[in-house]
Amino acid sequence: MYTNAHYIVFNGVTTSIRCDINGVTSFVPLDPANTDYANLMQLVAEGKLTIAPVEGAN
Amino acid sequence: MSTLKSINVIHPSSATNNIVNDASGNVAIGNNLTVAGTSTISGNETVTGTVVMGSSFKRNRIINGNMLIDQRNAGVEITPVSGQFLTDRWAYYSSQASKMTAQQVTDLNPISFRNSLLMITTSAVTVGASDFFTVTQNIEGYNISDLRWGKSNAQPVTLSFWVFSSLTGTFGASIRNSGNSRSYPFLYTIVSPSTWTYITVNIPGDTSGTWLTNSSTGLSVTFGLGVGSTFSGPAGVWASANYNVATGAVSVVGTAGATFYITGVQLEVGTVATPYEMQIYSDQLAQCQRYFQTSYFGSPVGTATTTNSAFYTVWANTYYAYLNVNFLVSMRTTPTNVSYSTNNGASGVQYNFSLGNQATAFSSNNYGFTNQITNLAAYAGNNYYFHWTASAEL
Repeated sequence: MYTNAHYIVFNGVTTSIRCDINGVTSFVPLDPANTDYANLMQLVAEGKLTIAPVEGAN
Repeated sequence: MSTLKSINVIHPSSATNNIVNDASGNVAIGNNLTVAGTSTISGNETVTGTVVMGSSFKRNRIINGNMLIDQRNAGVEITPVSGQFLTDRWAYYSSQASKMTAQQVTDLNPISFRNSLLMITTSAVTVGASDFFTVTQNIEGYNISDLRWGKSNAQPVTLSFWVFSSLTGTFGASIRNSGNSRSYPFLYTIVSPSTWTYITVNIPGDTSGTWLTNSSTGLSVTFGLGVGSTFSGPAGVWASANYNVATGAVSVVGTAGATFYITGVQLEVGTVATPYEMQIYSDQLAQCQRYFQTSYFGSPVGTATTTNSAFYTVWANTYYAYLNVNFLVSMRTTPTNVSYSTNNGASGVQYNFSLGNQATAFSSNNYGFTNQITNLAAYAGNNYYFHWTASAEL
């Protein structure tokens, strides 16, 4: 289960999505071959999850 | 019965003997020998030429089929959620939570196997049509590319494994493609309860469907522990459907306290189940680390410990600090990273003795990651500790 998703900027570049996966805070890369990223995008496409904008850009 | 006594056997058109017998019981073949069936050699065999096999010497397409590697849980019993990994490369999928436990165990194993995966039903479920409780390994497409599935010359495979259960009857399993649009469900039988049983299943190559041969899932091997009718189909035939098991399979999750052990899982090309292909431990660990790596090295992920943890010391007041870590093995793809506090195992943070758990972030690729911590001003000289995991599972 994916919850609390928002984009992360790392050293000025948006590199990942920080989200809770079954309650574990995880950093999911923006890589279509990554299974978690593919799952997140599917949830977004189905309207079941919203990924919040960048939090605390750095 | 009559006996043919002859030293030489020769074809009328052959210039040399086809077969030469000697007084010691030896036979010499003059030229090529073709065996249409199975050749069994009880003694030794010496080959001075080249051995050409139908498959590679690395026969087993399953990784960690003997359940030896358990990087996440280190042998500790867990109550897995759907999608959670058990022993390395083996994942649990379920439609209902908190019905089974899983554990890598070292007792009760058949000969030659140190470990097995134990599933226990902790809360019995009457499986509904759309319910499923399974243990699955997704095999990377690169590792099945020689099967030529989806083509007219698709090769057969043989699945073999050892199982032990408190229940008896016909249990279910399947092979599926990544799109869940092709599946081969089958049944296997455990006659005696609490007795290790060796199972072999011949599976014809699938000449239809899409079977990926890249770094995505090529095929999935699934063992059913309770599957409803929606995901059950006719045994022993390929179907354009998502069948996890064959119809009529035993439901392990239907009996409280029921046990199911499995080990020695091997999937190989051809129609013969060969003995389990034992791997050198370090080779097998490296195979698993293509999909999952961790700094814990022997402790369950999430343990509060500084042993083997990563850490960095901030020498100057700054807002950011970075730590680069190279992976032990290049990973299948860019992994999902998690950091864990060495103080209490909380995820998504690092631990500092003065400040407590502090937020962090990752940037990674197949070969390593960079970890970052922010807002370090006025904290020069502080150490920051964390454990990490990287998952590029299928």
